[in-house]
Amino acid sequence: MKNPLNKRYIRELKAELGKYLVIFLLMTGTIGFVSGFLVADGSMIAAYDESFEKYNIEHGNFRTSGKLANDQKKAVEDLDVTLYDNFYMEEELANESVLRIFKERTKVNKVCLMEGDLPEHTGEIAVDRMYADNNDIHTGDILEGEGREYKVTGLVALPDYSCLFSDNSDSMFDAVKFGVAVAAEDFFEEFDEDKLVYSYSWLYDKAPEDDIEEKKKSDEFMEELVKTVPLEDYVPRYLNQAIQFTGEDMGSDRSMMILLLYIIMVILAFVFAVTISNTINKESRVIGTLRASGYTRRELLLHYMLMPFLVTLAGALIGNVLGYTWFKDVTAGMYYGSYSLTTYVTLWNGEAFLLTTVVPVLLMIIINYVVLSRRLKLSPLKFIRGDLTKRKQRRAVPLPVGMRFFDRFRLRIIFQNMGNYMVLLFGILFANLLLMFGLLIPSALDHYRDYIENHMLSEYQYILKTVPYEDELETENGDAEKFSAYTLRTLDSEKYKSEDITLYGIEEGSRYIDLDIDPDKKGVYLSSAYASKYRIGPGDKIRLKEKYENKTYSFQVAGIFPYESTLSVYMPIQELNETFDRERDYFNGYFSDSKITDIKEEYIKTVIDKEDLTKLSRQLDVSMGGMMRMVNLFAVIMFMILIYLLSKVIIEKNAQSISLAKILGYTDCEISRLYIAANSIVVIALLILSLPVTREIMEYLFREIMLSKMSGWITFYVDPVIYIQMLLMGIGTYGAVSLLEYRRVRRIRMDAVLKNVE
Amino acid sequence: MFLEISGIRKAFGTGDGRIEVLKGIDLEVGKGEFCVLLGPSGSGKSTLLNIVGGIDNADAGYVAIGGERLAGMKEKKLTAYRREHLGYVFQMYNLIPNLTLRENIEVGAYLGRNSLDVDELLQTLGLYEHQRKLPNQLSGGQQQRTAIGRAIIKNPDILLCDEPTGALDYNTSREILKLIETVNKKYGNTVLMVTHNDAIKGMADRVVSLRDGAVRKNYRNEHKISADALEW
Repeated sequence: MKNPLNKRYIRELKAELGKYLVIFLLMTGTIGFVSGFLVADGSMIAAYDESFEKYNIEHGNFRTSGKLANDQKKAVEDLDVTLYDNFYMEEELANESVLRIFKERTKVNKVCLMEGDLPEHTGEIAVDRMYADNNDIHTGDILEGEGREYKVTGLVALPDYSCLFSDNSDSMFDAVKFGVAVAAEDFFEEFDEDKLVYSYSWLYDKAPEDDIEEKKKSDEFMEELVKTVPLEDYVPRYLNQAIQFTGEDMGSDRSMMILLLYIIMVILAFVFAVTISNTINKESRVIGTLRASGYTRRELLLHYMLMPFLVTLAGALIGNVLGYTWFKDVTAGMYYGSYSLTTYVTLWNGEAFLLTTVVPVLLMIIINYVVLSRRLKLSPLKFIRGDLTKRKQRRAVPLPVGMRFFDRFRLRIIFQNMGNYMVLLFGILFANLLLMFGLLIPSALDHYRDYIENHMLSEYQYILKTVPYEDELETENGDAEKFSAYTLRTLDSEKYKSEDITLYGIEEGSRYIDLDIDPDKKGVYLSSAYASKYRIGPGDKIRLKEKYENKTYSFQVAGIFPYESTLSVYMPIQELNETFDRERDYFNGYFSDSKITDIKEEYIKTVIDKEDLTKLSRQLDVSMGGMMRMVNLFAVIMFMILIYLLSKVIIEKNAQSISLAKILGYTDCEISRLYIAANSIVVIALLILSLPVTREIMEYLFREIMLSKMSGWITFYVDPVIYIQMLLMGIGTYGAVSLLEYRRVRRIRMDAVLKNVE
Repeated sequence: MFLEISGIRKAFGTGDGRIEVLKGIDLEVGKGEFCVLLGPSGSGKSTLLNIVGGIDNADAGYVAIGGERLAGMKEKKLTAYRREHLGYVFQMYNLIPNLTLRENIEVGAYLGRNSLDVDELLQTLGLYEHQRKLPNQLSGGQQQRTAIGRAIIKNPDILLCDEPTGALDYNTSREILKLIETVNKKYGNTVLMVTHNDAIKGMADRVVSLRDGAVRKNYRNEHKISADALEW
């Protein structure tokens, strides 16, 4: 005979459709999203990994000021590498973005055509798909350059620019203001030679087998290369952000997504455990009778655990179906929105299935087993008596005698539901974390952009090239102030990415760097961004290394210069020149608040202006804006569901008391004032309490994300308005839920207590 | 003897608050006997019933059913014992709200090795035409009859009834008592019924009267009357 208790499941489902539906939807949505993410992530990572071979991605590239002569090329190739010309020309377009146009590649860094055709004729180019998306460029469009027009024949992905970094030392790529394109060979030959950048890609004759060998090979190659050709830039593949950033970022998001899924699953498992515990409370006399009649604890435990198991299993299976169909495209869209990826094929991901099906079901089973088996451990007699406390004697918490009756009553309800409120606290914390994350990123980026715009060292920073006649680098511009700059890198560490640090040698009494350097105090001054990121203070020592050599330098930190925009170090100009064996009066840059017009353009290597400094925030805005809105929506839904379910439990738990109160003559409104107000007090208190806790956790997470994923530094900043928004969203959401609670209170019948029916 | 209760002692609380509820109860009930445990509130009759039912432990003494002692049985074995030998009826009906009347009875049938026929029992209980109703569609008497059906369907050796008419009116109480009497006669189960209603002793084979945790009277009822004839 089948256990007749099984017949309850369908009826339970019908009776509690709202509860099961919201949990199921949240679970299916979360599992679907994470499954889709893992499937797309896995497939795209596989495509990315394969792209190295498929598109024959370079082992590195270097740049020289001029075209290498044949004997120079041969000398380089004697170092066991094959060289490929990878020249390009940069064109500033009418839309104020810069397009880096390469000759069509056929041997190395081969082009992946995403849409349209490759260019064949003069005036035609195929542009990067992502840059095109960001600038609303389509196949067939005409782009206006400096005195030339380009017809877009197709959209492409260049495998050596899966992430559109224009310069490898940039803290962030900028796929809005920078893009890449390819032109047919004949057309490329027409470009002005003066505008060409001589970049060479290389492939080792014998490819390194692992990262360690690649690094070693690259160091050895560079050491020999500098003896052969004068280098302007040297970027081995493993340090090339335009190639590596995508792979690193795709991989790193994975663990965050899985963590997100498991946190939600644990919260939902506790929600289930709490609601089922409430059902057990409600059915305690029935349970006692069944136990007294001979039902085993195991039979009842399985009975109560089956619904969460089935709901989770259904959610996991349907979530996975959605993951492979719809959500996969959402994630792929997110990646294509951030990176210029080549095409991919969806791959079956057994691990994703395991992580999004078996693990959630196991989590649900384990948590419910632990909570419910403890609950069902009580003796049948205790169930029959409805005394479900484990303690021998339950004493009432003493309350002040003079306290008003309604206040006492509310406090008693709060004491009675402490367990529920604990789950609610975790739920609110988690939902608030998501909410804060969603609200914080755009606001922190705005704040960062405002800060940069209002705290620029100077309107322009000119970085000059090394020229034979230094007189040519002098300016008559009264705003200009010389500096000597040198770039070193932080040391490799397991936790942080190695990144560029610019060292500035500044003039005494500088107008632009307001630093009162104490001549007696030895040491350098760190920008506050650098100090914050690496938690360095005055008196500490920093060690930095040469970019292309293994030589390291140590500096004593004398103080911190309040500047949040870049990671930089400041010291007197003579000291910097001395450190790097330069002439005492050497300089290679100007700070200036006005444009310098009397230095030839070809002597200017870079001009750093507002546009450059706000690149980081702009790109993050583009690539994360959509996701932030999704996170916010998800947080609000999560918050609503938790409050709805847990406050429902509290009302149901007290259904008998509410029924009795109605019999005694209390109005629905008075009862709501007792029960809903008790909930409201706790929810609002939890919302307020969770704000500082959320802030602390978020600051920690923000820092970890910045450290592990990004060069540069964005200050953690929470606009006070965010706290108000969070609080209002929380209260608003609760307001909507409390209307449902009020409805629930009104629906409790007076005969509930008289007829002993549920 | 089928049910043997010997030297049962039970106390609640500790120190000054310690109350001795049962002070050494000795009792024997024969197979198929209808035994009524009478006594005022606090006399210890429900506690004694719970100890016999294996849902409470005695501090001293033992209970044996068919020669098998309960004392020292582990939780698992006690459950198996209850499953095999006992049926329970309480003052509150404790039916499962989202199962129909028939399904509630089947919950009991599931536990038995040689359960009775559900349809036949429904006829005996007078509930056949209500079998598809949920508990909240039934009167108190019908609910209690269902609870009795649930207890009796597995054909237990002993039917333990704790104030089964305590929440019912006079007529319904008589109906329920009649039903228990019919079940006792028809299926031959031993019935141990706790009540504070003195009139019910008239229908018992054996009457045990408790006061302050001790047996005051224990006798065979030589003038047994039918439940129909009971009046109070």
